[in-house]
Amino acid sequence: MNPVEFSHAVLISRVASGQWHALEDDLVVGRGEASRRPDGRVFVSIDAWHGAAFDRLAGAMLAALPRPLHTVVDEADLDLTVQWRRAGFTTRRREWEYAVPTDPRATGLDSAVPPPGVTIKAFGSAEEAPLRALDSTIRDEVAAGPGWQDMPAEVLVLPVLDPSKYAVAAHCGQYVGLLRVAMVTRLPRIGLIAVRAGHQRRGIARALLAHALGALHHIGKETASAEVTESNVAATALFEGIGARHIGRNLELVLR
Amino acid sequence: MSRSSNGIELEGTVLECLRNATFRVELQNGHKVLAHISGKIRKNYIKILPYDRVLVELSPYDLTRGRIVFRYRS
Repeated sequence: MNPVEFSHAVLISRVASGQWHALEDDLVVGRGEASRRPDGRVFVSIDAWHGAAFDRLAGAMLAALPRPLHTVVDEADLDLTVQWRRAGFTTRRREWEYAVPTDPRATGLDSAVPPPGVTIKAFGSAEEAPLRALDSTIRDEVAAGPGWQDMPAEVLVLPVLDPSKYAVAAHCGQYVGLLRVAMVTRLPRIGLIAVRAGHQRRGIARALLAHALGALHHIGKETASAEVTESNVAATALFEGIGARHIGRNLELVLR
Repeated sequence: MSRSSNGIELEGTVLECLRNATFRVELQNGHKVLAHISGKIRKNYIKILPYDRVLVELSPYDLTRGRIVFRYRS
């Protein structure tokens, strides 16, 4: 594809359908990328070594891509946030990152018990078929209600459903809630807590959390991480009520 | 060290998380740099923690600055 020359000796070149480079004196001084999430939304990112390269990349990308466009920034990264705002992006939602203690004495969850008739199945003990059915049902319920647009992309599509990563709540033999923990790093991550619509507000999520954090504490993990959309009052109350503390704040920005 | 279209890339270890979404990283050659994380890493919710082994792309303008472009699993 043909590069387009701008002032300040920065050249922008679209090197693939979703990739752009900013070149200065034959050096790559910036890269832009666009990718489509499973929910259909297009997310963009730009890494540039100076503001002029960022602005040139943003100009080329925004002119070539359909709107709306989304991006994610760390709110503490003031320079990057300002650069995206200069390109016309506005805040769509804010998301807290939490450090969640696992010690039951710190969380106060040592006395948490599931509501009557509900049992918690430990990681790895849930049967795959009903777990898959629960996952599917919850996805349908969310899609019919608030939608998935406040979820990280990885929540949207799980090609492999691994029961070892799930704690499950069962009521009268039927699976009604789940919690997934990812252990990809030294810091376990609570990736998803979900309870079926007819079983919410009974303490099932809290019981799942008590079980999961207790299990992590048992294997020596002192802290887990979680992300919660700021507007999700129930989830923020749940995590802050057990002593989770803010460790970061992400902004999802949108250009409509 | 590798020299790719991304510039000079070096492996390093994260020493600490600083304010303004930056990290202090000690490179294999013993130099310490301040690094941001790449947009790809942020889009994919990859967490960077102290002691993580990472790949850092150095700024062509300032070799004390960099960008974390990859986090190794171990």
